[in-house]
Amino acid sequence: MKLLVCVKQVPDSEGHLSINQEGSWVTYEGKTAFRMNRFDEFAIEEALLIRDHISHDKQTSINAVSVGPPRTSLTLKKAMAMGADEGIHILWDQNLYMSPFDTASLIASYAKDKAYDMILTGVMAEDDMHCLVGQFIAEILGYPCATSVIHQEIINGGSQLSVEREIESGRRECLRLNLPAVLTIQSGINTPRYPSLSNVIRARDQKIITMDAENLQTLKKREELVSLSYPEPSSKGFFLDGTQREKAQTLLRILHEKSFI
Amino acid sequence: MKRQIAVIVEHTGNRILPVTYESLSFAMELGERLGLNLSVLILGNSIEAMAKQLAERTGSHVTGIKGAQLESYNGEAYKGAIVEILEAFDPSYICMPHTATGFDLAPRIAFFLNASCVTSVEKIRVREGNIRFIRSMFNGKLHAEMAPATAKAVLTILPGAWPSLEIHPGSKGSVHIIRTNFSPIASQTLEIKESRKEKLNLGDADVIISAGRGIRKPANLHLLEELAKIFPKSVLGSSKAACDLGWLGYQHQIGITGQTVSPRLYIACGISGAVQHISGMRGSQTIIGINSDPDASIFNAADYGIVEDLETFIPTLLEEFRHFSESS
Ligand SMILES: Cc1cc2nc3c(=O)[nH]c(=O)nc-3n(C[C@H](O)[C@H](O)[C@H](O)COP(=O)(O)OP(=O)(O)OC[C@H]3O[C@@H](n4cnc5c(N)ncnc54)[C@H](O)[C@@H]3O)c2cc1C
Ligand SMILES: Nc1ncnc2c1ncn2[C@@H]1O[C@H](COP(=O)(O)O)[C@@H](O)[C@H]1O
Repeated sequence: MKLLVCVKQVPDSEGHLSINQEGSWVTYEGKTAFRMNRFDEFAIEEALLIRDHISHDKQTSINAVSVGPPRTSLTLKKAMAMGADEGIHILWDQNLYMSPFDTASLIASYAKDKAYDMILTGVMAEDDMHCLVGQFIAEILGYPCATSVIHQEIINGGSQLSVEREIESGRRECLRLNLPAVLTIQSGINTPRYPSLSNVIRARDQKIITMDAENLQTLKKREELVSLSYPEPSSKGFFLDGTQREKAQTLLRILHEKSFI
Repeated sequence: MKRQIAVIVEHTGNRILPVTYESLSFAMELGERLGLNLSVLILGNSIEAMAKQLAERTGSHVTGIKGAQLESYNGEAYKGAIVEILEAFDPSYICMPHTATGFDLAPRIAFFLNASCVTSVEKIRVREGNIRFIRSMFNGKLHAEMAPATAKAVLTILPGAWPSLEIHPGSKGSVHIIRTNFSPIASQTLEIKESRKEKLNLGDADVIISAGRGIRKPANLHLLEELAKIFPKSVLGSSKAACDLGWLGYQHQIGITGQTVSPRLYIACGISGAVQHISGMRGSQTIIGINSDPDASIFNAADYGIVEDLETFIPTLLEEFRHFSESS
């Protein structure tokens, strides 16, 4: 089996985000920390579990792919430290927004002649929150796709997948897909592992294959981000101020007035 | 003929989901601004009664697409059954709720129709005559204005962002049912399983104290338990992230894939305020957010915001509560 896992590097969004002068994207300051999109950690872990499960198939390989600027290679290293065999960096050296359709088009263009049996993505990127890239990759490649996957199992001698997807109110939709297929993985499907020290050391020496986004064939643009803004502060709420103790006292007074306590 | 704005209906067990009426409300608003005719599409196997109900409530034309393969949702079957009809209708916009079904289906249709796809739309804005769609990014910290770069657009509408459609007076609407025998080839939906989560009825609680990833470690749960004790009818809720980390069981999860609650008081502790969480608790009467990040979007939903580290704030609050109850 050949597995491809799409991983995105996202900024840790605790703290203030500044919009650039043109209002077109976020400017990351030196102190911004970047990490792997959390949903993608679950996707990598699921690929590793599949590999463990079919350990009789010595040919199983897991590739991790990411589209982004040079710093993205750290996220690919993390994927390799978790256990992926190879990292593929589609280099796009601009700190700007890339639409999910464009991202999918780049990944599909890379993947199309590589005969992957399964392509895994996270259900959503924590920064742009589209929930689209996996489905677009599937459509471009003509593969079946299941989104928000919370359970999967290879069946029928490796020709099909039995899948459960999480829908509203915790209900699950059970379906069967032919391989090759695309799965978008929902958090909670597994417990992502911490990289072992030996894997971290191994990953350090492993090379990442880098290719320029411009050399990949892409499809015509579909939608654009015109501008970013800060949401208007809500009119109904207000912040309690003062010291910690004063805030606690104010809160208790409010709770008492509203007869909660 | 006037151009169309189409809404794809979401339903389950012969019941139209309330989020559908929100998407209809969105489509009415956009349709009125742009002079588009609303048309409603419903796919399924036994849809006649729902189609009639929709026609009466919207006063619009409802097209039912009927087939045994459409008994329950399957992305491939839905797409296969609908795209030719959409090509014939040629709507400028196709809308549906932003649910697990909506974000599964929308990109499939958009790809086929060479349309743009904008998910989780929460506002419409008109700028110099151009229509823009506003959606949240970075867990609600920023708003992005999106513009389709194509003639058609497929949109998913954020649950809770538009009110439910009022009954439309005047015309009674009309229904037309088309049969399809399109069968999916590469995927098959087998069944829908009800939630396996143990039942914990959060709906009955007066007060919900909710834990997010920001409690930082499970050992801090006791702070929330202590806080819960100061209210008579209270329970612990949680974000999905805290459940995924194994800190609380999934029966505590609040949000679109967990439970929807509307207690008298909701205290969100270390929860960032992602739309999927807010959707499940925005009906609470009073919302308090405790978060160390002043920019956290939970504060946009809260009545009272407290920017503090909960590890020190909650103990202070409990201490003050002891003084308070001794003196009163
Ligand atoms: C299809 C789909 C369905 C989903 N369904 C749900 C759902 O039903 N329910 C749900 O909750 N989520 C759901 N999610 C996930 C959702 O998008 C978010 O990832 C999740 O809600 C984040 O949880 P959180 O706020 O606990 O964690 P984070 O987003 O990591 O936020 C943690 C917060 O804690 C704050 N913090 C950190 N330390 C402290 C401290 N010491 N004191 C005070 N504050 C602190 C931080 O500033 C931050 O704001 C869904 C996602 C998808 C894609
Ligand atoms: N730049 C990227 N590089 C690699 N994978 C990505 C990228 N952007 C999105 N993805 C994948 O697509 C998923 C969904 O992203 P989105 O549609 O943007 O919410 C993510 O969880 C990733 O697995």
